[in-house]
Amino acid sequence: MIPSDHFVRFYNEVFKFLDTRGLLQAYFDDVARYAASRNLEKFKKGGLQAVYDHYLVIRKEENCDLDLEFGDGELHSYMRKCPSLSKVLDNDASASPHYCLHCPGWSLPVNTAAGLYEVYDLMEPDVPHCESWLYDDADRAVKKYRELIAAVPVSRVRTNIPPALLEDAGKE
Amino acid sequence: MLRYQENNELHRNFHGSTDNAMRFVEKTCGREALKEVLRKTGRDVYKSIREKLARGDASELIEHLCWFYYRENAPFKLEVSENEIRFEVLACPAHVHMKKMGLEPAPFNCLQTEEVNAGMCEGTPWTSAVEHIGPDHCVQIFRKEPSK
Repeated sequence: MIPSDHFVRFYNEVFKFLDTRGLLQAYFDDVARYAASRNLEKFKKGGLQAVYDHYLVIRKEENCDLDLEFGDGELHSYMRKCPSLSKVLDNDASASPHYCLHCPGWSLPVNTAAGLYEVYDLMEPDVPHCESWLYDDADRAVKKYRELIAAVPVSRVRTNIPPALLEDAGKE
Repeated sequence: MLRYQENNELHRNFHGSTDNAMRFVEKTCGREALKEVLRKTGRDVYKSIREKLARGDASELIEHLCWFYYRENAPFKLEVSENEIRFEVLACPAHVHMKKMGLEPAPFNCLQTEEVNAGMCEGTPWTSAVEHIGPDHCVQIFRKEPSK
């Protein structure tokens, strides 16, 4: 048995292997389907509150140093120290350079299906921290996206806002 | 002494994620590819255990087995002799938890034990085997070539 404590180090090995086969994105899509099978109905039904409740459980069980601010139609998450990437870096095997992509890889499709809009700042891929904002209102998500890409390189930002709504983003 | 000193909260749902990852690799790349990834995990992630085994020191392997199965509330029996370690898991905590989640472990789920253990032993005087007693009950066996 791979201990549940060590799953992420196995996950990292899977990422590195699938990357050599050109299958990493297909795997992220599969992880999103798996995550949806566990969470989508509750996110659809409960919206932002359900995602917040889910993160409260994850924060405890996965030992996250995570700030959560929820209210007024916004769920803001600031991961001060990600336990997942921390373990992958504290590892006798090398880290996948794409390790952090698995998080928006599952959350963006699941939130899209739940009718929620996410703006995700990956920050540095070799430092275990990141930040995200989640809304049930597309206009607020577009506003946050515009603020973010004005402040940080767009290459580190991920979002599920429909492209048509982003056409003018950043032009103001 | 353990290389990885986890001792805080557990997220047992990761057993479902492990099974899902194994299914994806098996479906897209085949059984041998899955074995390769698992064996590499054993060899590289558990480098510290492997290097100690190569020096004839099984202490970290024994501590690893006992600590992580204890943490997951698994009933187990350990027998250690000079050239053999037998670690009997009476109710696999990964399988028990997956069933609580409403998930059925993949038919090849136990490859994670077989291949990771084999990877830990690669290039050492030790070999590994798994005797399957029942669906959630096995004996993990590590044998060392007798000293000449």
